[in-house]
Amino acid sequence: MASESKQFDVVVIGGGPGGYAAALYAAAAGLSVALVERDKVGGTCLHRGCIPAKEFLETAHVLRTIEHAGAFGFTTSAPTVDFSVSQNRKNEVVDQLHKGLSGLLKGRKIEVLEGTGRLDANNTVSVFDGADAGATLVGRNVILAAGSVPRTLPGFEVDGSVILTSDEFLALSALPASAAVIGGGAIGCEFASMLSDMGSKVTIVEGLPSILAGCDTEVASVVQRSFKKRGIDIVTNAKVTGHTPSKSGTTLHLDGVDDVEVEMVIVSVGRRPRTEGLLGEATGVELDERGFVVADEYMRTAAPNVFAVGDVVAGTPQLAHVGFAEAIVAIKTILGEVTVPVNYDRVPWAIYTNPEVAFCGLTEAAAKERGYNVVVKKDPFAGNGRARIIGDTEGVVKIIAEKNADGTAGQLLGVHMAGPWVTEQLGAGYFAVNWEATASEAAALIQPHPSLSETFGETLLALAGRGLHVG
Amino acid sequence: MRHCSRWPDEDSTLADVTLPSLGESVTEGIITRWMKSVGDIIERDEPLFEISTDKVDSELPSPAAGVLLKILANEGDTVGVGAVVAVIGELDGASTESPAPVADAPVAAPSPSASSAPSLPSNAVTSSEKGLVVSPIVRRILDGGGVDARAVQGTGPGGSITRRDAESAVANGPTDDLPIALTPGMRRMAQHMVDSVRTSPHGFVAVEVDASVFIKLDAVGRTTSDGTPINDEALVGLAAVRALAEFDFFNATVAGDDLIIHRTINLGFVRSLQPAGMLVPVVHAAGGLTLRALAHRLNDLSDRVESRQLTTDDLLGGTFSLLAAPTPSTLVAMPLLIQPNVAALSVGAVRHAPVVVVRDGVEVVEPGRRLVLGLSFDHRVADPVSAAKYLERVGELLAAIDVNAER
Repeated sequence: MASESKQFDVVVIGGGPGGYAAALYAAAAGLSVALVERDKVGGTCLHRGCIPAKEFLETAHVLRTIEHAGAFGFTTSAPTVDFSVSQNRKNEVVDQLHKGLSGLLKGRKIEVLEGTGRLDANNTVSVFDGADAGATLVGRNVILAAGSVPRTLPGFEVDGSVILTSDEFLALSALPASAAVIGGGAIGCEFASMLSDMGSKVTIVEGLPSILAGCDTEVASVVQRSFKKRGIDIVTNAKVTGHTPSKSGTTLHLDGVDDVEVEMVIVSVGRRPRTEGLLGEATGVELDERGFVVADEYMRTAAPNVFAVGDVVAGTPQLAHVGFAEAIVAIKTILGEVTVPVNYDRVPWAIYTNPEVAFCGLTEAAAKERGYNVVVKKDPFAGNGRARIIGDTEGVVKIIAEKNADGTAGQLLGVHMAGPWVTEQLGAGYFAVNWEATASEAAALIQPHPSLSETFGETLLALAGRGLHVG
Repeated sequence: MRHCSRWPDEDSTLADVTLPSLGESVTEGIITRWMKSVGDIIERDEPLFEISTDKVDSELPSPAAGVLLKILANEGDTVGVGAVVAVIGELDGASTESPAPVADAPVAAPSPSASSAPSLPSNAVTSSEKGLVVSPIVRRILDGGGVDARAVQGTGPGGSITRRDAESAVANGPTDDLPIALTPGMRRMAQHMVDSVRTSPHGFVAVEVDASVFIKLDAVGRTTSDGTPINDEALVGLAAVRALAEFDFFNATVAGDDLIIHRTINLGFVRSLQPAGMLVPVVHAAGGLTLRALAHRLNDLSDRVESRQLTTDDLLGGTFSLLAAPTPSTLVAMPLLIQPNVAALSVGAVRHAPVVVVRDGVEVVEPGRRLVLGLSFDHRVADPVSAAKYLERVGELLAAIDVNAER
């Protein structure tokens, strides 16, 4: 690579969802763009996150379908699984998406450099380690989208066979007979759900009083009940003190609770920003005490013309679609266009456990904490015709609205769902909350019959005063 | 100031505010106004102070968000380019070590504006650009209450209008009068035009002239021989410049008891900005230019207006200006004088018209082209007779342009 610096309108460090969205959106606006990626474009989401995890979970879904086939009159033998086939299929899915994305970047004439990008003073980006090591780029604007990596626990050396993070777990070709998942957040619960469905004996170890702590308690408890029914052990308020490796795995030590013997420990205790080595001297970019990049609502960092998007940004949800949205805000700000910043209180959340969880807006507890008087209605999927047909009736829709002076339900504050395909159903709730609809405005709109979304519609009707089925 | 964002430490930038380069010929300026006082909270790119250099007034944006800690140059002080004029600190006021002074950082380009010419659109988001992206429900509430969205101060992210904002706006009754803050461009235009009317008693004369040269131009093609478009402005501008050689007192400035006649003709071309405001980029030393050269220069200016690449120098030093027909059916518009000029030419639309010509001693009517030219002039130093004579001379010289040879 030539040593002179090339000039671009936008230089992006990191080719994950935040970075590639910024690059594509900027190129679509006619800006010249370079993108520096240390591994493969697509980032954690495509290669070690969302996409692989959902392929694993779909494998578990196929198994459940086969197991329930008898209810529809099919005679099947007990299914066995060669998980390496599923791992290969996952790799094919990822490869296809990776090729598609690479082609898209090329088609938009985005210069993709292989290596680790570092921001230096005066908007210069230097490239290290990789095919394009030694290159320097100058961007009229620089976007930091370096992403995040799994956090680890002291005393739990990741070895890829007994102690794993999500990175190693999603590369497995065979599943353990038993596993402990440390951390009962979205990622941990997805892994626990999938492993349990696939026949592993699973223990979730969570430090807080409940799993899925960020979710509305009723939605979280639907998952917790389902997990317990399926034999997943859930240890809450737990304190992990260490582990003792053995021939067949390891023994996990918990403060005040019995030891847990498992083949595998999956550590899913959150993700930290990948900002070590991201900044050179005197860039003016500010990091918070945990190493995240500080940015304002227009994604501007403390340094002029340097922006940050995605997991690397301090205080924002680590979600691919939030990264996409932040990338668009950053590019529109660069273009000088009128931009509405991301409303972080109202982004959509989706957890692909069995049963699924999806929500948007305030939980009941958060709404009360902010001083709202609320009206709450719930409708379980058990009464839904389509849910009966597909044989998946576990779950509930819960909607929280602000209470009007006359006691009726006003503006919708939060929509929370657990149950079949709720990640695909959230859209209507997302629009309702973000368009600031009231219960009666949203209830006046129709859901198709028979569909799972009728449960959402029914909850709205109840909230608006009179339900057909729900009181 | 927009509403505070949710990140407690977003405003912890510390920066020295320096006077950025304002154009090649400018080395210093006078600070005419501070828009903020010490202790005020300021967002990045929010207008911070106004600088006056020679004939240019610019509003300069803040290079950082935070609190204005110190003002190091008072209103009326002359400061050099690069001098530190203020210090911006963290929001809590705790001034820490400066991580990186942004003296040479590529801050958003100042919006250059000659007194002759209001601002370029800045490429930064300003607090006045509140997102008028409203949800369907907010729109319905506002429509139902007869409230114009532009009259509502939004409290949502980026100043967007929330349902609550809409409901309280509607509770205050329908929008009757709608106060909309003038944009910086409008403010500068307003100031300039008021000053112009106060300074110069305006006279105005319009004459109709033959425009058959445009038939010839259409016949050879409306481009120069090397492909640059030739518009009406270029052709009439060429004739106007040539006529000024004989009417040099229209290329002049009043200074006390003297009329200063300028040897150099710097021809300003009026450009409108949307939604309101204007720019007058200047073709310097336009005397002696050929049609082709003038078309090139004019085209280059227009391109740079479009791409926001004008520099302050492009807006400085105009001695005479030309206003093209605002619409294709404008007979003629009366321009106000761009100070300190004493005359401004207005070009009406070239119209297809029946003209009387003599053929073999007989008057006949033929299809032709006509054009109204107007001249606004400073009645302190010129009169309608000289103005009309100048316009007639422009008409003659326009008709005399050999478009085939000069293109």
